[in-house]
Amino acid sequence: MAAFHLEMKVNGELVAVDIDPGMRLLDVLREVLHLTGTKEGCGEGECGACSVILDGELVDSCLVMAPQAYGKEVVTIEGVAALGQLHPLQEAFIEAGAVQCGFCTPGMILAAKVLLDHNPNPDRQEIARAISGNLCRCTGYSKIIKAVEIAASRIKAEAGAASD
Amino acid sequence: MKKRGFGIGCMSYGIGNTGLPNPAGAFVDFLDDGTVIVLTGCADIGQGSSTILAQIAAETLGVAFEDVVVVAGDTGVTPDAGATSASRQTYISGNAVFEAARKARQEVIAGAAAVLGVPPEEINLKNGRVWHGEEPTSLSIKEVISKCRSEGILTLGHGWFNPATTRLDPATGQGIPYATYAFATQVAEVEVDTETGIVEVKRIVAAHDVGRAINPQNVEGQIESGCSMGIGYALLEEVVVKEGEIQNPAFSTYLMPTAMDVPEVYPIIVEELEPTGPYGAKGVGEPALVPTAAAITNAVADALGLRFYDLPLTPERVVAEIKKSREKKEDDGQ
Repeated sequence: MAAFHLEMKVNGELVAVDIDPGMRLLDVLREVLHLTGTKEGCGEGECGACSVILDGELVDSCLVMAPQAYGKEVVTIEGVAALGQLHPLQEAFIEAGAVQCGFCTPGMILAAKVLLDHNPNPDRQEIARAISGNLCRCTGYSKIIKAVEIAASRIKAEAGAASD
Repeated sequence: MKKRGFGIGCMSYGIGNTGLPNPAGAFVDFLDDGTVIVLTGCADIGQGSSTILAQIAAETLGVAFEDVVVVAGDTGVTPDAGATSASRQTYISGNAVFEAARKARQEVIAGAAAVLGVPPEEINLKNGRVWHGEEPTSLSIKEVISKCRSEGILTLGHGWFNPATTRLDPATGQGIPYATYAFATQVAEVEVDTETGIVEVKRIVAAHDVGRAINPQNVEGQIESGCSMGIGYALLEEVVVKEGEIQNPAFSTYLMPTAMDVPEVYPIIVEELEPTGPYGAKGVGEPALVPTAAAITNAVADALGLRFYDLPLTPERVVAEIKKSREKKEDDGQ
């Protein structure tokens, strides 16, 4: 099969790779670019462990064929911490004890990031809905929801301070 | 119509393997820069045992938690700790690490006693320093270890623990299956839609006797997740097997709770110290899940006046039971 020349932006950087066009975005991220923070859980779009942000939307990267990402912008968990500084969501996850085995965590943080990017003041129900496509067996979700609440209030406070 | 109900579930649960020896071992090496290496076979699968074991070592040796490195679950270098199962690792590996750290601590205390010229029993290790009674001395733990090393004395220890159990008598079933037990009571509030049969859990209050909560946030996490699994057990999760083949081997057909299914859980930690536990700790892993389905089923019975004997309480089952009870009432001419 002829290779597909894939050009996309990953975590702010232009990437050009020649790949098998049958590859999933998940495979390109993990196997070609070695961004292994994105996890493969079920491989059929049900668990959300492979969530990434594609042009601002949360997607299951196991359900996106790699050529579909051509010319688009992908954010993985590796791109969330800007310049080595943890994102408020990452800090809040640590602080609230929202990480147990950690397998769902990258997807959870990206799902929460998409929520907060669109809605800086989510209530508990909105947070639960936003992360409901990401399954977690360890935490019971309580501390994850709390972490998103903490991060939302911090981001708001920072934005308030910056505009003063 | 939506009906509300409350239900209670209570449980006791043995910590460790039933009526069998199930020891765990550990090594603790107190290095001359004041940091500590703990070697344990205890596999941390997300429940936080490596954090707990580091806390136990730090507390025993009088150093900061951040100065403890835990090497866990590596069969190349770590001693056997048995399985991460049976809610046993805090209690059993916790005791092994405590014992190993206690021995390393004795070496440091002996060295410090020689330097200060006071009896070892008057010496304590706290915040990285050597204390004489209630007063800190000018001597740091690091300095004592350096001195020990210069004299060829290593400050390390090993420990192991096996809970005191007996095998159960095959004829009578009697014996001592567990060295200690966890206890818990949970209360669930539910709302049942009598048209659709959907049971919604509104709140769970979960009180757990865990002995000492070595890391309260971690214990809360275990309780909250146990309640979430219990909601799945009560309302959603069912392995459908037909002629030996599982019919629902996917998350879209075997439903487990999402964030939308889990209500606010209010964990209450009850610290009834266990004399044989490390700093009084027992375990919380499985106990967190045990009473949840009973509490929810009792709450549904409270709401509907109907008893269910099969889990999960799927909408289909609930509607069928409501229909059956209506028909029975009609037959009885009520």
